Order: sequence, then C-alpha cells, then structure tokens
Amino acid sequence: MSGFLKIAIRNLLKGPTTDPYPFGDTFIPQKLRGKLKVDASECTACRTCEEVCPSGAIKITKNEGAYVHTTWYNTCCFCGNCEFFCPTGAIKLTTDFHTAHFQDEKYSFVTVAVIKETECKNCKTKFVPPSEALLKRAYNGIDIDLDELKLYCPECRKKIAFERLHLWLRH
Amino acid sequence: MSIITRSPFLFRINTGSCNGCDVELATTAMIPRYDVERLGCRYTGSPKHADILLVTGPITARSKPYLIEVLDELPRPFVVVAIGTCPTSCGIFRDSYSIEGPLDKYVEVDVNVPGCPPRPQAIIDGVAKALEIWKRKIRDFK
Repeated sequence: MSGFLKIAIRNLLKGPTTDPYPFGDTFIPQKLRGKLKVDASECTACRTCEEVCPSGAIKITKNEGAYVHTTWYNTCCFCGNCEFFCPTGAIKLTTDFHTAHFQDEKYSFVTVAVIKETECKNCKTKFVPPSEALLKRAYNGIDIDLDELKLYCPECRKKIAFERLHLWLRH
Repeated sequence: MSIITRSPFLFRINTGSCNGCDVELATTAMIPRYDVERLGCRYTGSPKHADILLVTGPITARSKPYLIEVLDELPRPFVVVAIGTCPTSCGIFRDSYSIEGPLDKYVEVDVNVPGCPPRPQAIIDGVAKALEIWKRKIRDFK
C-alpha cells in the first residue's frame, strides 16, 4: 500500500510519464542512427559505401559531368557501415528518425547528393576533386599547398609529386 | 460515423519478422511512455474486428498463406501499414529463395514506415498517417 502511495505521490508531483510526441517535443538519443547526410564537397565518388551497404540502398550513377549519390531509405537498414567505411568522412548518420511516409512517395523517399566534376588545370581532363581530408591523409606531414593540389587530376598530381621527390633527392 | 472514425482497431501480423519490429510495436502499444492509444486506436486479437492492419517482416514462404487468410478476413475498407524495412522492400533479405515479398504484391499498402527497426515515435507517426487515410476511406465508402 505504501509503495502504491509513493508512486501516486511521485506521479502527482512529476506529471505524466507519457512522451507527448505526436503533439509535442520528444527526446532523441545522441547516438541514434537515422537518415544519412552526404556532404557532396567531401565525397569523391569512390563507391566504398555502395560496396559495403548490406542491403544495396546506396547507388552511385554517372551522369553528364557529375556523379549522383542516391540513398533509398526503404531498403536501408541503418547499420552505419557507410559512415564507418567512408574514407573521407563525407557520410554522416543524423538523428532524424522521421521515416513514415505514404505509399505514393515510396520510390521517391531518397536523399540525393550531386558530386560535380572539375577540369584539370594542366591537361583539361574531367575528374572528381579530392577532398581536403583525403589529401591530408595522403600527404601527411609533407609541406605542400593542398589547395593547389586540388586543381590537378590524379595523373598530373602523380607527376607533381614525383618532381618534388626528384628535387628533394638532388638536394 | 464520427465514433467509428475516432476509434479504429489495430491488428498486427508477423510475417517472418526477426521480432525487432514486434518489440518496438509492443513498446508503442503497451508501455505508458509511447501510448499509441492516445490516438484513439486499440489493439484487437481478431482480424475480423480490425480496421488498420500492421504488417512486420518480409513475407516468407511459410507465412504467406496466413497473410492471405488475414487479408480475406479483414472487413472492407481497411488500411495497411508496413512496419519496418522488410515488408516495404524486403531489405537485406531481398532476392532470397524463401522470401515472397514485398507486401505490395498482395495488397494495396497505404503507409510505409521504414527503419530496422523503426523508432516507436516513427511508428506513432505511421499510425497517425494511417488514421488520416482511414477517415478518408470511411467517408468515401458507400
């Protein structure tokens, strides 16, 4: 009886325990794996996320002058593999859990990120510019201007790196 | 008519689910924190009383006849809600030999709630959307 009284008094003081969600605010855990957020400026269209996705929710297609990164939430299992394996940290899982939708939106319930290609400064071929994070990992501890390197395609970048090594060896 | 639209009955069927979505559904229905009965709906044990059908799991070959049986027993009109990634598109089990899904092969689905499993709040969202459709359907039903 005293236990019941304790609970009754506590409930009177603290108010209802029901989460007022559809009519009010709700709480979200910080580590909740919700919808994806793809940063198009960081993404290099390397297709790692497409490879590791267990349910095949991520597709990267090549269009005229751009790569299109599409995530279809109706088959995504929110495992977070894409975030874990992304080499540049372009994919982040947000805490957005609002996934309920009507049937007519079934095939359009996606997030799309467009990764634009740029022209090489030297040889004018089209390529996806590497992200800052990726270059920092590749040229770790080397004194070189990363913003300048971004303008060259992989072949020209290789050439520049070799020339630098050659100069360094001659010294 | 207004009383009917205010208090639809929910019926839940598991068609080969891993129990994740069922646990979340039980959470949504039973514990006071996410009380789905605030929206006016109640769970029922019989598909003959049901107005809103909640389906969890990809349609496995074993469970398909039971799903068809339930669909036959439901009174018209009814609303179908697919809970979880599995009934909406079969998710990671797609193209398996024992899966006969997704759900919209067999019945016209109204609301999808993807997630593996969806959060209780997302399920409440889905039920709220289903209630809208239910009100429209019962008004148009003659």
